[in-house]
This record gives sequence, C-alpha cells and structure tokens, in this order.
Amino acid sequence: MSSDDSRSFRLHDFDVDGAVHETCERLPLETRSGFLRTAARTGAVVLGGLVLRPAAAAASSSSNDVAILNFALALEYLQASFYTEAERIGALHGALAHQANVVGVHEREHVKAFKSVLGSAAIKQPRFNFHGVTENPNAFRSTAVAFEDLATAAYKEQAPKIESRTYLAAALAIHSVEARHAAWIRRLAGFLPAAKAFDEPLSNQKVVAIVNSTHFVTLQDPSMTARTSPRFTG
Amino acid sequence: MSIRISRAGLFSRSLAVVGALGGSALGAAELAASSGSQHSAVSDREILNLALLIARLQAAFYAEALKGGQLTGERHQFASVVGAQERTHVSFLAAALGPHASHSPRFQFGDATTDPKKFVSTAESLESTSLGVYNGQAVNLTPQALAAAARIVSVEARHAAWARALAGKDPAPVAVDMPISVAKAKSVLAPFLV
Repeated sequence: MSSDDSRSFRLHDFDVDGAVHETCERLPLETRSGFLRTAARTGAVVLGGLVLRPAAAAASSSSNDVAILNFALALEYLQASFYTEAERIGALHGALAHQANVVGVHEREHVKAFKSVLGSAAIKQPRFNFHGVTENPNAFRSTAVAFEDLATAAYKEQAPKIESRTYLAAALAIHSVEARHAAWIRRLAGFLPAAKAFDEPLSNQKVVAIVNSTHFVTLQDPSMTARTSPRFTG
Repeated sequence: MSIRISRAGLFSRSLAVVGALGGSALGAAELAASSGSQHSAVSDREILNLALLIARLQAAFYAEALKGGQLTGERHQFASVVGAQERTHVSFLAAALGPHASHSPRFQFGDATTDPKKFVSTAESLESTSLGVYNGQAVNLTPQALAAAARIVSVEARHAAWARALAGKDPAPVAVDMPISVAKAKSVLAPFLV
C-alpha cells in the first residue's frame, strides 16, 4: 500500500522547523567539530551503541522485540531526562512550564513501563548533557519540538516491526501520545500542531544520527563501556 | 482523594499496556476478539473501510463548519487545516481500497458545525475516536497496511491534541492512549449518520 521511501536522508527533511539545526548552531564550533571527530573515530555514541548491542533475551520476547523496546527506552530516557531537568532548573513559566511538567510525567511513566517489561534486558540510562537548553525557554521549546516529532517518527518506523501483538499495541498507544506531545509543544512554539496530512517514519539509524547531531548524549570511552568488570579489578 | 486514586489507576493501566500484566488491561475484548484471526486482506479491508468512513465523516464535518461561517480565529484555522488533511486521508484510503471502498453515507451534524463550543468538543470526540480505533485495530492489520495506517494515526492524535487545546484542556491528558473497540467507535459515529 505504501512504497518504501528510499531517498537519502538529510537533516532538514526531518527538521522542518529548523529546531535541531538551531540547537546545533548554538553550540560552540570547537565543541561541535571535536564531537564530530570523536564520533567518527569511535563509530558510535552511547545511544547508537546501546541500540546495536545484542540484547540479552528477555523471557518470551524475540531478540528483535527486545532491541526495539530498548530503542524506545533510550528515546524515553532522553525525553524524560530533558523534561525532568527543565522542571528541576525552573526557568520555564506559564504554559511552557505546565507542558514540561505534564509531559515529563508521561515520559517518566514510559521509561518505567519499558524498564518493567524489559527487566534485566533493559539498557541503563545514558548520561545526558543538554548544554543549557533546559535553562532557556526558547531553546527548550525548539528542542522539545524536535524531540517529540522525532519520537513520533521513531515509533512509527519501529511499530510495524514488532512481533508481539501486546508490545505492538503498547507501542502504538505511546506513539499517539508522542504525537499529542508534538502537537502541544508545536502550538506553544507558534507552529501548526499538525503540519501535514501524513507523518513519516524515520529509521533508527537516522534517529540516532539526529540525536547524535545534538550531542546531548555524553560520549563514553568505548573501552570503558565494553568492560563489565568493576573498575578496581582492572 | 479521588484524584489520587485515578492517577494511580492511570499509571497501573499504562504499565499494563506495555505488557507487564500480559495485556489484561489492554482492551482485553479487543485482543480476545482478534485472537486466532489471521492478518489478511479481508480484515485490512474491513478496518480501512471503517477508517475511510471516519475520515469522510470528519472531512464533511469540517467542510460544513467552515461553510457555516461561525468559526473565527484559531478555530477557523483548525477547521481549515484539519479539514484539508482529512480530505487527503479520504483520497488515500479510497485509493488504497480501490474497488473495495465502501460508498459514503450521508451525514448530519446538527448544531455541532454552527455552535463553536460544540464544534470543538465534537472535533475532539471524532479525532480521539479515530486514533483510538486505529490503535485498537492495528494488531489486526497486515504489516504493510499497518505502516500506512501509522502515517495517519499520529496525525489524528495531533488533531485531537489541537482540539483539546482549543477547548482549554491539556492536549495530552494521559501517558498512553487506550485503544477503543470498533463497537465503541461506531456508537460515537452513529448520531452523525443519516
């Protein structure tokens, strides 16, 4: 019914409002290029590494489903951390503060839910550095627009690949809430809540690339993340 | 007190939705009704025809509201933007169904298209019904039809959120959108069918 859209991806195709671009533009050039060099050298940042890591098999779930649920969990960690930090810092006021508080509750519930389902197979929370965007209402708003549109597109891509009917239904029940969040913050940012008749999916590689481009995920030394034994034994 | 109870209930439901309780709270009737049924072109057609009916009803609703001339400001913008998107959904679904597309019934909206407050509450009801039935029936779609439906369902969620904002409510009231049954969806649509 729908044909695969195989055109190559560019950031501005997704980042229609320029929110991610704007966020990246604010970063000091030195940091940005240093980040890109490091990312190129190691091949992956934490979010990507977590997604690609072979998941421990959760009972009665396919490894494919576990990988998808962990990918969703990574996105929920990102969002929950973002809203929680914004609320803690307290730089937002009025409708924007209310949005951050309500949506933050939702994202934290999503995190808890995925962790509960995944059990010991759940990835650990990465460390995030939001580089001050949670302290500035304008930066917060444009970043939130990008995150919510991104989450909606990511769930949309992954949902049809889920084998378990229960997890599929759950992913869709969260997918539409992410779309509601997107509409909410878009309206507060002065964008049309629903800009187009169709929302397009976005592959996990592209989602990871976009998140990496914001470099909100703290890059960790791969030799450290690969090592599971306690530090004192090394 | 009652607020606390209801919040706790919502949270446990959200956990249940993600499968912690084996789907027991996840529209159990939906899953039971569909268990054993295979994904098939036939069930795709039934579900997409319901989606087509809802999209046609929404398109007619927004067109009539705009024609009525009682909407101003953001309500007018909402009807105009969302109405155009619903017409696009109608074309898309009708094309996907081809010769299997049902004929459109006639609709009646009473004063829901002329009373601005009723317009907003009716829009919210129609949009949330649309996304709820998509979410409920998605497990019965073939992966290909699901991928197509998913491009529409989040737009319906955006519409529902926007309508809620126009009504002065939180656009996203809960952490998960509970799916609704086909029977429930049809009961919402029934008053608008001639």
